Amino acid sequence: MADFIQLCVNGLALGSVYALAAIGFVIVYAATGVVNFAAGQFVMLGTFAGVGMITQGALPLGLGYGAALAAMALFGVLFFVLVYLPLRKSPVVTIIIGTVAIGIVMQNAVLLSFGSWPFRLPSPLDGIMLQIGGAMITAHAVMVVAVTALLIGLIWLLFYRTALGIGMRAVAQDVEAARLMGLPVNRLLALSWVLAAMLAGIAGLLLGPMWFADVNMGDPIALKAFAATIIGGFGSLPGAIAGGLFVGLAELLGASYVSSAYKDLIAFGAMILFLLVRPQGVFGERIQDRG
Amino acid sequence: MTLLHATGVSMRYGGLMALSGVDLAVAPAEFVAVIGPNGAGKSTFLNVLTGLVYPTAGKVLLDGRDITRAPPHARIRAGLGRTFQHGRLFDRLSVLENVMVGAAIRRDRSEAALRDAAHAVLDRMGLAAEADQAVGSLSYGRRRMVELCRVLAGEPRLLLLDEPAAGLNSGEVEHLIERLTELRATHRIAVVLIEHNMGMVMRLAERILVLNFGSRIAEGPPAQIQTDPAVLTAYLGEGYVHAGG
Repeated sequence: MADFIQLCVNGLALGSVYALAAIGFVIVYAATGVVNFAAGQFVMLGTFAGVGMITQGALPLGLGYGAALAAMALFGVLFFVLVYLPLRKSPVVTIIIGTVAIGIVMQNAVLLSFGSWPFRLPSPLDGIMLQIGGAMITAHAVMVVAVTALLIGLIWLLFYRTALGIGMRAVAQDVEAARLMGLPVNRLLALSWVLAAMLAGIAGLLLGPMWFADVNMGDPIALKAFAATIIGGFGSLPGAIAGGLFVGLAELLGASYVSSAYKDLIAFGAMILFLLVRPQGVFGERIQDRG
Repeated sequence: MTLLHATGVSMRYGGLMALSGVDLAVAPAEFVAVIGPNGAGKSTFLNVLTGLVYPTAGKVLLDGRDITRAPPHARIRAGLGRTFQHGRLFDRLSVLENVMVGAAIRRDRSEAALRDAAHAVLDRMGLAAEADQAVGSLSYGRRRMVELCRVLAGEPRLLLLDEPAAGLNSGEVEHLIERLTELRATHRIAVVLIEHNMGMVMRLAERILVLNFGSRIAEGPPAQIQTDPAVLTAYLGEGYVHAGG
């Protein structure tokens, strides 16, 4: 039982990171129609922003987190200006391929800057263990779940209780009508990219102490976040959260109770099943219903 | 003082002349209707005024300022408001949120101010009870009213209405006419109305501009337009007018 609780908490922590990446995925998709295949590299960049500020820059943790997130916000703006804006009138497929290309560029830029040797990012709760139901859990894992829950609450407040969020939801549904209502559409679209980049940054900072910071870490995250959004439902925030948690739990429980060689089988098997039987996922819309 | 002044507006799509030298001046609080048979260029003219398309010739002035090449959102901020022939509401937002989006061009854009402004418009237009409903769940007639509320929430000085009565039943049309009459009386908003419902046009409009094949064929008060031979010919055909006249 203690093992099961431990696996569940660690699975929820990993799933929280996937959920944050998936939420960033969904925010960008809902606002722009773009499936951002660089989403995993966004998370990788977030981890390395932390490595740059905290491990290499020797900034105190709080300041390092702030600086890393500011860098990610700036990256979101740059991505919007240098990648999305020049391509926005191209077919969506072109933009999607553009995100794949930028993902490769990001990965190699980090490889050039930091080298191929993996880093470890510290956690503010390093070395602290909690006993829950007889299981020993790292305090960091609990913090990851708590921070994710807090962020989900803040995102809900932003989208449903602020004028800015209502504007973003309007732009996500009909850009032209939103423009005709006088909404600053470009600013709101830019904000979607900034928000996605910052969420990925937080996911990266939370993931850093759980995994090693490695330039190849973005690929599995992108696949898991993609699986999470398919299972939860494309375009759905609750779907991204539920899908992310499911994939994280399935990964750790699968590794423990099935085989570590097949740990991804449950999540990707579920994704394929959803694509075949219920393409709209648990909460969302079918991909082909968009545009 | 003229609020809107469009002069010599032409719009060419390849070999098709959708608009040909159309003029329109609208004074503050004036109610003008633009009518014409299908394909006359009415919606194209409204699109030019809104900035959805830029004319191939001619000028559009708002408060004397040239807005011919201004983007739509700049015109909305300058005091223009528009509804669409096929209402473009944000279906996944509630009625209140849709109207809040319309109010977002006001100076005070705090959530509380937008919420209050949206509630005030919904109260005035008789939609307060539906404020928290999802727009997607409303009847067609109520959706048209929500669209009108959304544009009114931005406090436009010039309202462009693109066939607001299309698809409404007679009771809903009557309700719409009453609301528009009230608006004129209380808020002194200028209106340019495109509408096929002639009963509505004749009751509301002070002046009517008639287009046919992209050109102006008549302009004047309703009583004059109703008997204008060129208008009757455009609507009823050459043979009917001659036989009837």
